[in-house]
Amino acid sequence: MGLAYRIEESATLVTYRDALWRTMHDALARDPSVIVMGQGVDDHKGIFGSTTGLATTFGATRVFDVPLAEDGMTGVALGAALGGLYPIQTHIRCDFALLAVNQLVNMVAKYRYMFGGRFRVPMLVRTVIGRSWGQGAQHSQSPQALFAHVPGLVVVLPSAADSITATYDALIGEKQVPVISFEHRLLYDVAFRAPASAPEWPLAPLGSILRRRGRDVTVVATSILVLEALRAAEHLARTAGIEVEVIDLHCASHPDREMILGSVARTGRLIVADTSWCAYGVAAEICRLVCEHDPSALRAPVTTIGMAPAPCPTAKTLEDLFYPSLRRLSDEIAALARGTRQHGIELPAEASMADVYKKFKGPF
Amino acid sequence: MTTFADERERLLYQALRIRRVEEHIARIYPSDCIQSPVHLSLGQEAVAVGACAPLRAGDRVFGTYRSHAFYLACGGSLREMMAELFGKATGCAGGKAGSMHLTAPEVGFMGSSAVVASTIPNAVGAALAAQRLGTGAITLAVFGDGATEEGVYHESLNFAALHRLPVLFLCENNGLAVHSHRASRQSYDLMHHARGFGITAEHCASGFDPMAVRALVEMAAQALRAGAGPRFIECATYRYAEHVGIGDDHDVGYRSPADCAAWRAHDPLILEAARLERFEAAIAAEIADAVTFAAASPWPEPDALLRDVA
Ligand SMILES: Cc1ncc(C[n+]2csc(CCOP(=O)(O)OP(=O)(O)O)c2C)c(N)n1
Ligand SMILES: [Mg+2]
Repeated sequence: MGLAYRIEESATLVTYRDALWRTMHDALARDPSVIVMGQGVDDHKGIFGSTTGLATTFGATRVFDVPLAEDGMTGVALGAALGGLYPIQTHIRCDFALLAVNQLVNMVAKYRYMFGGRFRVPMLVRTVIGRSWGQGAQHSQSPQALFAHVPGLVVVLPSAADSITATYDALIGEKQVPVISFEHRLLYDVAFRAPASAPEWPLAPLGSILRRRGRDVTVVATSILVLEALRAAEHLARTAGIEVEVIDLHCASHPDREMILGSVARTGRLIVADTSWCAYGVAAEICRLVCEHDPSALRAPVTTIGMAPAPCPTAKTLEDLFYPSLRRLSDEIAALARGTRQHGIELPAEASMADVYKKFKGPF
Repeated sequence: MTTFADERERLLYQALRIRRVEEHIARIYPSDCIQSPVHLSLGQEAVAVGACAPLRAGDRVFGTYRSHAFYLACGGSLREMMAELFGKATGCAGGKAGSMHLTAPEVGFMGSSAVVASTIPNAVGAALAAQRLGTGAITLAVFGDGATEEGVYHESLNFAALHRLPVLFLCENNGLAVHSHRASRQSYDLMHHARGFGITAEHCASGFDPMAVRALVEMAAQALRAGAGPRFIECATYRYAEHVGIGDDHDVGYRSPADCAAWRAHDPLILEAARLERFEAAIAAEIADAVTFAAASPWPEPDALLRDVA
């Protein structure tokens, strides 16, 4: 893979939510075998606006509400996939997908291999990572590593409208693999600049995306931290001439090894910024890739950034400490680039992420 | 080509064939040519052949780790099953399944899982697909009495009833989950429980009689094909062998030899042995051929290790 992607200047803005709605709509319109099933997919809120109205347009046999039975419904989705449908299953929080771990890990991930390749399991499970406004311990988890650990699942974390479109359009109905996607709730309202040539966005559906080139530090980031990394990169370029390379990991199960290793070979400095806990997670895995390949490429120890090693608290003061921040990310990059914590570089005001984080007023 | 006096004889022949296959597996098991746990269906064969008899091309069956009988009753290849048990490349899953994950999609046997109850919702999903695609096919979810204690069983009944899906829930009730009796595990009656979801439930007390099972499944299948919603059938049956493995464990205390004797006293494969004798030679030859095939087949190539992952 290793495709570079540059956000082209264009007047059109597309929100993450619009991209989601568009991919859902187009998949249903394009392929009669596609069904969308999940708690609340047909209600007025429609999975935060990503499925609104689709039940009316495509009918209740194709877009339907389901019982509160995550494991059972995942099993139903798998059976439906074996029976010739392409199910898209939704969970408004990935925490709820944990009730479906048996079907996802023991069945969905194994169905092709365990039966000697006699079956394909074409399905997409959409889950949403929550953050802020008191989501707390059970509405904020980011279990991508848990699923990416298991061979047989394709795990993606779209960080922008373009990766939604490219990934979902390419996967739904086409790639005969089970995909679990971790969408970020706080990205739903973010507007991204749409490239001029929308239908041929040069993104690989899987693998990773080179979001920004830079010679000084490599940041491998997931989901909303890609946005933070890009903002940190712009700030540091402007204020200190530090050039940060930002790799959007995108596909946690199938990262672009060459892209990551090549980047680290050039910069010699690596930061991994993940939406989840660092231990045993994406951060640990990226370190494994680098260490197994060529640890001598590193000119400084790796820095990992993620959630604090605790369940998520609700009090704002604690939550601010729990999550990595743009300030902290910028500070770590600057420290790594300058080789000292006393780098003297002015850090961005936290307000620079306010458009994303402070706008969210819940409830979910 | 084997010919039969009537449908009953045809089903008894199938049940006998499954029994002889499993007895042969038990015979060769100590040689370690089969390096895989085996959960034998000895005693339960009639349920499988009776249940599969009314099925048509396109119908689907989802089973459990105890699926030698259903695999064969569906028409799965005996050679490929034996090769799978031997771990050979010519097995029904290329040597990646063993005894617990038999599959034969070409005859509608979709797969079997060693995690109790986990194929039940898959059967419901396949029924959903058949309904939405209008194929007219029906699906059989086969499971044991113990599986009904899993949450996903209840979730599956609810969804199937809600959408009136063409799925038959078929419980092979041998009264045991490993060594544990139903009375120490279940607060509910299986039939009442299914009826609580608005599902028509039938009971077959004579799970040793393939024609009795066949008749109930035939009726249920007609209802399913007419769009009448899911059905539930509980078949009383009896497991002759130990839960897993080839032994007989009537002497260890959790069940009595008298129960076994009572069941054997109804078993047509025993009672009508003389009449079925004429099939024995052909069955023995077929089994010998399957074992020779399995033994002579190659092991999977090393590159199979990472094939078909995702
Ligand atoms: C989820 C799960 N729990 C426990 C087990 C261990 N186990 C294997 S078979 C079995 C008994 C199942 O009983 P039943 O459903 O009645 O089927 P039977 O073996 O009697 O055919 C148990 C508990 C398992 N395989 N999967
Ligand atoms: Mg049982």
